[in-house]
Amino acid sequence: MVKLLLKRSAEALRRHKARGAESALILPVFDGDAPDDPALAAAAKAARFTGRAGEALCLPGADGLTILAGIGAGRTVQDWEAGGGAGMAEAAGRAQAVLLAEGATARQAAGFAAGALLNAWRFTALRDARKDKDAPPARVILGVTTPGKVEHAWKRAEATLRGVLLARDLVAEPGNRLNPASFAERLRALRDFGLKVEVVAGKRLAALGMGALRAVGGGAEHGPRLVVLRWPGKLMAAPVAFVGKGVCFDTGGISIKPAAGMEEMRGDMAGAAAAAGAMLALALRRSPAPAVAVLALAENAIGAASYRPGDILRTHSGKTIEVLDTDAEGRLILADALAYTAARFKPRAMIDLATLTGSIITALGHHRAGVFGNDEALTAALMAAGEAVAEPLWPMPIDDEHREVLKSDIADLRQCALAGSGAWGGRFLSDACHAAAFLREFVEDTSWAHLDIAGVEAREEAAPLGPKGPSGFGVRLLDRLVAMRFERDT
Amino acid sequence: MPDITFVKSALPRSGALVLLLAEGAPLAGLAKAAEEATGGAVSRGLEAAKFKGSKGQSCTLWAPGAGLAKLVAIGLGKADALDAQGAENAGGSALVAVQQEREAVLAADGLTPALAASCAVGARLRSYRFDRYRTTEKEEDKPKLERIAIASTEVTKAKAAFAPLQAIADGVFLTRDLVSEPPNVLTPTEMAERCKALEKLGVEVEIIGPREMKRLGFGALLGVAQGSAQEPRMVTMKWMGAPKGKKQKPLAFIGKGVTFDTGGISIKPAGGMEDMKWDMAGAGTVIGLMAALAGRKAKADVIGMVGLVENMPSATAQRPGDVVKSYSGQTVEVINTDAEGRLVLADVMWYCQEKYDPRFMVDLATLTGAIIIALGHERAGLFSNDDTLATHVKEAGSAVGEKAWRMPLGDAYDKQIKSDIADMKNVGGRPGGAITAAQFIQRFVNGKPWAHLDIAGTAWSSKDAPTVPKGATAYGVRMLDRMVADHYEG
Repeated sequence: MVKLLLKRSAEALRRHKARGAESALILPVFDGDAPDDPALAAAAKAARFTGRAGEALCLPGADGLTILAGIGAGRTVQDWEAGGGAGMAEAAGRAQAVLLAEGATARQAAGFAAGALLNAWRFTALRDARKDKDAPPARVILGVTTPGKVEHAWKRAEATLRGVLLARDLVAEPGNRLNPASFAERLRALRDFGLKVEVVAGKRLAALGMGALRAVGGGAEHGPRLVVLRWPGKLMAAPVAFVGKGVCFDTGGISIKPAAGMEEMRGDMAGAAAAAGAMLALALRRSPAPAVAVLALAENAIGAASYRPGDILRTHSGKTIEVLDTDAEGRLILADALAYTAARFKPRAMIDLATLTGSIITALGHHRAGVFGNDEALTAALMAAGEAVAEPLWPMPIDDEHREVLKSDIADLRQCALAGSGAWGGRFLSDACHAAAFLREFVEDTSWAHLDIAGVEAREEAAPLGPKGPSGFGVRLLDRLVAMRFERDT
Repeated sequence: MPDITFVKSALPRSGALVLLLAEGAPLAGLAKAAEEATGGAVSRGLEAAKFKGSKGQSCTLWAPGAGLAKLVAIGLGKADALDAQGAENAGGSALVAVQQEREAVLAADGLTPALAASCAVGARLRSYRFDRYRTTEKEEDKPKLERIAIASTEVTKAKAAFAPLQAIADGVFLTRDLVSEPPNVLTPTEMAERCKALEKLGVEVEIIGPREMKRLGFGALLGVAQGSAQEPRMVTMKWMGAPKGKKQKPLAFIGKGVTFDTGGISIKPAGGMEDMKWDMAGAGTVIGLMAALAGRKAKADVIGMVGLVENMPSATAQRPGDVVKSYSGQTVEVINTDAEGRLVLADVMWYCQEKYDPRFMVDLATLTGAIIIALGHERAGLFSNDDTLATHVKEAGSAVGEKAWRMPLGDAYDKQIKSDIADMKNVGGRPGGAITAAQFIQRFVNGKPWAHLDIAGTAWSSKDAPTVPKGATAYGVRMLDRMVADHYEG
């Protein structure tokens, strides 16, 4: 991650001028307002720049490169984040970016910088980024009136930011590099930040009766893992729990997927990545809330040992599942992880994240994730947290009909509805709701919410808060949820 | 279908008797009379059948004595929790239980007159049968019930409570008839003719055809219709029921009436295409709703409008790539000729708001498969630009067992229907397919308070429900009638 230098405005400006054309100066502009400098104001007017949040204008001029960054009304941190991000996008190709946030509150200034750094993330581990003409600036300076007063807010924003970037890095990793074993190793490294990490594999998974996770991961060279991350916090309370789907690569298994687009399935572990990123954020900002993340890691591969349609699996909860479609594997591994988490940690709330269904994309598109659950207050809190950090959710129902289709003739339940059983020749099945109804069977009476993040785990196109590709969706949302709801006693 | 009458509470000497029994309550009234007349056979039989009176439970005793051929007990659940829906469901179950008898008495003497009326309308709603095309049905397969007498202690009051419910049931039956009719019979012309039946209820009916549509500039609707040998129609139904001196702007309900939808040049797969005869269910629902409102003399001014077309592939059919000019003046690039319902609604809705300046517009349409993938078959998708209106629709639906689920709208979705060469295109891709359809319609509401019900999943049912036999459900008639009654009368 690019390191941010926090400086007095005068010093920041001096450094900007010292780098000439290699530096970009990013100035926040309120909606309907104009920059103080008359030349910039004239240019803004000529270019019809209004200052709408997320609007940016690049102005090469006598004083070097200046970028006007719209922050809208500038009241919310979100406005400043959008402005910082949009401004940073225009600074691509420069060695240095200098953000000026004089007169902003500490949180707004921190938001301005956080937006910029969210925008500047790239996954460069696997190519020579030096040849990239549009690389974001490697040096970013935030100029404020009194750096000492902004430092605390920045530390906090930075913690969340690092969580998001961890999640994005993990999602971007291809399946040949990030398998259940190497993913678990990467998670082990989070010990350095004060998280307790347990990795359960092999015989110990068998001993725990994780029949579903073992079946899904059984066809791959690298077997499945259950990784538990724990943050002790300070409060004497049960932890809040995150449960993540971590399918490192999803071929679909015996019910194999079509070839077109299958490469995107390297991101089918985005739920686990988001949960891990949220844990890192909580640890870095020393959250008082005890938290735990349980990540079910598996590769859904085709092999001689792959599980089959028709198999019956015995889960950790003792309930049996009839498999109809080996490509509906996420709900299976979550079934084990949810039941395990509920039983072991008795959490105050349990939130699972998963790139679970194509159906949720048909339902809500790429602009909102679906939230299902059994606790209206928790759902409402998640919705509010999502709105506050620009990771919007929409509530979805679990109706009787959705449970009804999961009745099995020979097991406790089916994993999904029978193919072809939907309306109009079998083409229309509400699979996202069916999946949620399935998961509900494994949470007992725990306060629970399920986020189906298929469709939002990666951006279709560049936006102020990030380039095209992995979004890290969920990290900011969970971090905010914990801050809003779980950092006080009961 | 059987006659429904109300009679004084007395034990019948023959035929069938249905008892409605609350959980844990002692036998009273007619039940007690039956118990005594049969020498205790009723209570012994119920005990042998483990009948407890729980909700939905039923039990049949054959020839229990006292001349009765059949005695049926239906459980009501806890007496103090019995509501109108519970009574309707009991009435529906009772009807099924005695359908093969010629006469039956339904003992509603333990219920209030209002609940007895609910019970009667439940029986009425369940008795619906669409059998006009059966010519060789065996006698033993036909229902034999000629008369069901609702026994009440307050006959006059129960009758009075039933009268408006009967009018609503008539509206429901009209809708079910229209939706059930095959597409070679129910063409746009025929459907428009059937609207005239509403004139005898005091509804003003206006019909316009293609010449007038062309003169008005209904380019979107006519584009859909142009491939069919059947001429399109638009029908306006006016019920002016508001008392003089209490006149307000009218309420408007608009329905999609594609009497058969092949998909046009973007033709649908063969499997399940026969279901497309009910692609006029939105219009059918508006017609039934108008009949219900007029039949019970609702004290409100209401406009019902339906756009009736057939969508056919042919030498004259509209092509993907065509651009049509809608009545609003906005142009539409037709990407997929199977997204035709929104084109029909576009012209009708713009015309409606322009000509009648309604307080609100509610449209109903079997619009997208995406809404089924999102929600399934228990709830319709509800989209709205007005929270109050949306709440009224949703709550009225819950009160009558026609459930809706709010779905999102927003600029991000609206962007998906941007066209390169016209004001908009008629599809926005798979992601959020029902939402982008709603966004399209919203472009034709001209800022009026508006709600859109996507009823593709709820217009037709593949299984029986207590008051809705499988087939055409008439979903929406009772909901919207109830909404008018609760918020817009007097």
